[in-house]
Amino acid sequence: MSQKIKEHVQKLLTEGKIKGFFALREENGNIMPHLFCDPKELDHLSLGDWKKSGDTRYPLNQLMIRLAIAYPNETFAVLARGCDERGLRELFKWKQLAEDRVVLIGIGCPDELAKACECEKPFPDSLLEGPQGTKAENEKVASLDKMDLEERFTFWETEFNRCIKCLGCRNICPMCFCNECTLEEANLIDTGEVPPANPTFHLVRAIHMVGRCIDCGLCEEACPADIPLRTLYKKVTEIISKEFGYKTGFSVDEKSPFNIIEVK
Amino acid sequence: MEFKTVLSFCPYCGCGCGLLLEVLDGKIVGTLPSKTSPVNQGKLCVKGWTVHEFVTSPNRLTKPMVRQGDGLQESSWDEALNLAAARLKEIKEKYGPDSIGVLTSAKCTNEENYVLQKFTRAAIGTNNIDHCARL
Amino acid sequence: MTFLKKLLEFSGIHPERLRTRWVSSAEAVEFVHEVSAFAEEIKNLGPNPLRAKPKEAA
Repeated sequence: MSQKIKEHVQKLLTEGKIKGFFALREENGNIMPHLFCDPKELDHLSLGDWKKSGDTRYPLNQLMIRLAIAYPNETFAVLARGCDERGLRELFKWKQLAEDRVVLIGIGCPDELAKACECEKPFPDSLLEGPQGTKAENEKVASLDKMDLEERFTFWETEFNRCIKCLGCRNICPMCFCNECTLEEANLIDTGEVPPANPTFHLVRAIHMVGRCIDCGLCEEACPADIPLRTLYKKVTEIISKEFGYKTGFSVDEKSPFNIIEVK
Repeated sequence: MEFKTVLSFCPYCGCGCGLLLEVLDGKIVGTLPSKTSPVNQGKLCVKGWTVHEFVTSPNRLTKPMVRQGDGLQESSWDEALNLAAARLKEIKEKYGPDSIGVLTSAKCTNEENYVLQKFTRAAIGTNNIDHCARL
Repeated sequence: MTFLKKLLEFSGIHPERLRTRWVSSAEAVEFVHEVSAFAEEIKNLGPNPLRAKPKEAA
């Protein structure tokens, strides 16, 4: 599936339109993020499919922000699925990346992956390779909504009790870029306590995911305790969509109701 | 400009979780879990996630230090090692080998831990050796 | 507030346990009334599940 991408990126690199291409490389059976600056390296390009489709996705946008801070005048291309495009749109609005310094190399996700993710839109608008998959139904949130209040409380209390406060959910999130994080603020979250305040810790993170969570699922994949974080944040996104009419990552200029960033 | 991810392993406990070090222009700036590592399958604990912090920590010792009074003074390897050897011998003679204990670390390599236990048992002559993971 | 109530409800906490009201310091009677009424309402909701000892981790 990667032939079109290799040719397109090769052209961008040789024409000097981009400094590098953020994607994944395959090396000795391992798949990891890589910044392709030399077209010859594209022989090792991986799209993040190891044993299953999309099982080795990484927060490439996060790496791009790191480079953008160090090299603000360079342009980079990035491998982007539907969720990544949602992320980029929000990051532009949050002023973490400059739109004219990012080239999106879009791939669509196969139905099997889209269903597993219950993805709202499993392909980016600028699609280069891969299918224009169908929107999947939100069954995980629906099944929780069906429970009564007490059942839901027990459910979440049990899940959150396994939390070891590794902060993996926050660390891997491509949308978490705050220099000072509430979760590490000693005045708000007690240190030396595991599991962290149940359910406050997770509800605090959930609130911070408003207008930010792009439903990429990396948080749940990074949780060593298998807490259904994605389902919690999916609900958050649903609330914002229903109550405020805001769909995270769908608009190019409409800002999230929680985004009050103004840059002079 | 050079950015790369380097596959490595967590130096903390004995699990050996696979992780990726983010290296920007020769400096380690971040850590990511390796999704293809069978041990941790893309997950890390808080120690694994913060590996990059200790590598570049300003608190790391860069030279041997010798305690003088209340503070630590920079010294040479010879001076530091001679002092340690002399004092350990003195304590062993005065109070016996069991008055000395050795604490090692899961961050050490197996080889380093082997040398330390050999040193403790054969050179000092005590069984008082333990390990940070047991605390 | 709308958002927070819905999030609490999803987490299994009764949304009516959270309330916002603007009361001026000059409106002492209204303040007392609001707080008393609210206290009565939450008493009727029963003990807060967050106060109970957490169950063992699964």
